[in-house]
Amino acid sequence: MKTHTEYEEMLPFYAAGGCTSQQKREMEAHINLCHECQTELTMWKAVSMEIDTSNKTISTPSDIPAQALTRIRASKPMAAAIRQSWQLLKAQTYLIQSELWPVSALVMLIGVLVAVIARKDVVVYLLSPMMAAATLSMLYGPDHDPANELTRSTATSPWKILLARMSIMSCYNLLLGLIASLGLLFIVKPEMLGTIILGWVGPLAFLSSLALLLSVWWGTGIAIAVTYGLWLAQYISFKSIGILMPSPVWSNFLTEYKNFWHEPLLLVGLAFFVALAALWSANLPMLRLSSSIQ
Amino acid sequence: MITNAIQQKRKWTIAMAEPCNDDTLAIRLTAGDETALHELYAEYGKRLFAYALRLTNDHAKAEDVVQDVLVTVWRTAYRYRGEGRFIAWLLGIVHHTAMNAIRHTSIAISDAMEDTIASNTLPPENLTQRNMQSEWVKQGLESLDSDHRAVLELVFYQGLSMEEIAKVCQIPLGTVKSRLSYARQKLKGILIRQNAEEWR
Repeated sequence: MKTHTEYEEMLPFYAAGGCTSQQKREMEAHINLCHECQTELTMWKAVSMEIDTSNKTISTPSDIPAQALTRIRASKPMAAAIRQSWQLLKAQTYLIQSELWPVSALVMLIGVLVAVIARKDVVVYLLSPMMAAATLSMLYGPDHDPANELTRSTATSPWKILLARMSIMSCYNLLLGLIASLGLLFIVKPEMLGTIILGWVGPLAFLSSLALLLSVWWGTGIAIAVTYGLWLAQYISFKSIGILMPSPVWSNFLTEYKNFWHEPLLLVGLAFFVALAALWSANLPMLRLSSSIQ
Repeated sequence: MITNAIQQKRKWTIAMAEPCNDDTLAIRLTAGDETALHELYAEYGKRLFAYALRLTNDHAKAEDVVQDVLVTVWRTAYRYRGEGRFIAWLLGIVHHTAMNAIRHTSIAISDAMEDTIASNTLPPENLTQRNMQSEWVKQGLESLDSDHRAVLELVFYQGLSMEEIAKVCQIPLGTVKSRLSYARQKLKGILIRQNAEEWR
């Protein structure tokens, strides 16, 4: 049961037609019994009408948006571009799946703990590129972006959105990798830190951009399967699959393949072109169609 | 007549509350789509201008405020995340901008000025009942300071809830209630004084 004061507080909203049907019923029952509220209701209705009437006579100046745009354009183009990019990055940060942030940090933390306990720094080398590939493959598309349809209907090009998300997630992955490498200082000498970082940074860049490209074309599942397969293939041991003496051609190929993952400059260069392909693919009409059908 | 006006406004409020392309509009503004700014003004310009005018009481100043608001919206559209109605978010910007604009120029209407307003009203015999009612309400609204006028505008013209008003004005719910209560007391006081004038 509401008090008279509560009804009195609700009265202007009732007079303005802003009450729910339940509130309206309660209000009407009270007004029928309360002379004071009847008088006040008349007053509020008169106020409502006066405000409406005075606003009806307002003529809105039509040139305000044009003047505002002139002011906006007058601001320095470089500053405006930086501000717009910053706004896009901030807006896209909220649209990336929120689970990706804590999950990838947790996996890397477990990786560092395992590496420290087992005294094997290779765990971080193995894990960083895999984690980055997984997160990059979950950046875009209807499965991972609740606002996908909305995003596609806006004037912002899909490649710009993809670039923004890729930049945000890549920075995060790099940061996690660096923190994980610092964690290895418990088991390695500080002068080894540079070598460790150079060890994973190339594979991380290449695998994550490849995962992005594959996810744009064929979805997350295929992107993860292919990138993980390529990454782990360097550890194929012929002995373990029962082949004692592989042919020299295969043996040479595997040696070259393993060396490939230890060429940071080559891997970063390749990552750049693969990322460009991914960004270009995001604008293809056929991919836009297939992703909205999924 | 009053009932008709209220029903008409209710329809309008419902129509405005229907899901429109507010989210898309915000995303397009973030992306730098200039036509989105024109569309925003076509959709909400009158309401923004009316609120700015109610706060500033000055046509030229209200124009400046709305222009500033459009520039601010252009630069901060990414902050709108669909929590609450877009119009409430826009009115919050109008409120902040207008309050900054009038902070140093606002003149609170004193009791003495209020008496002058009351004494300047036309003699009752020259007014129809409808005009008299309109006249005292007008006097009453003019006697309120911009904070109280703002709350009334948000209730009666913009159709906002108490919670939305609190957000727009960046004040606690209790303050919204106390401002409405103050406005009621003030208007009632003027109504009583007006009635006494009529009886004299």
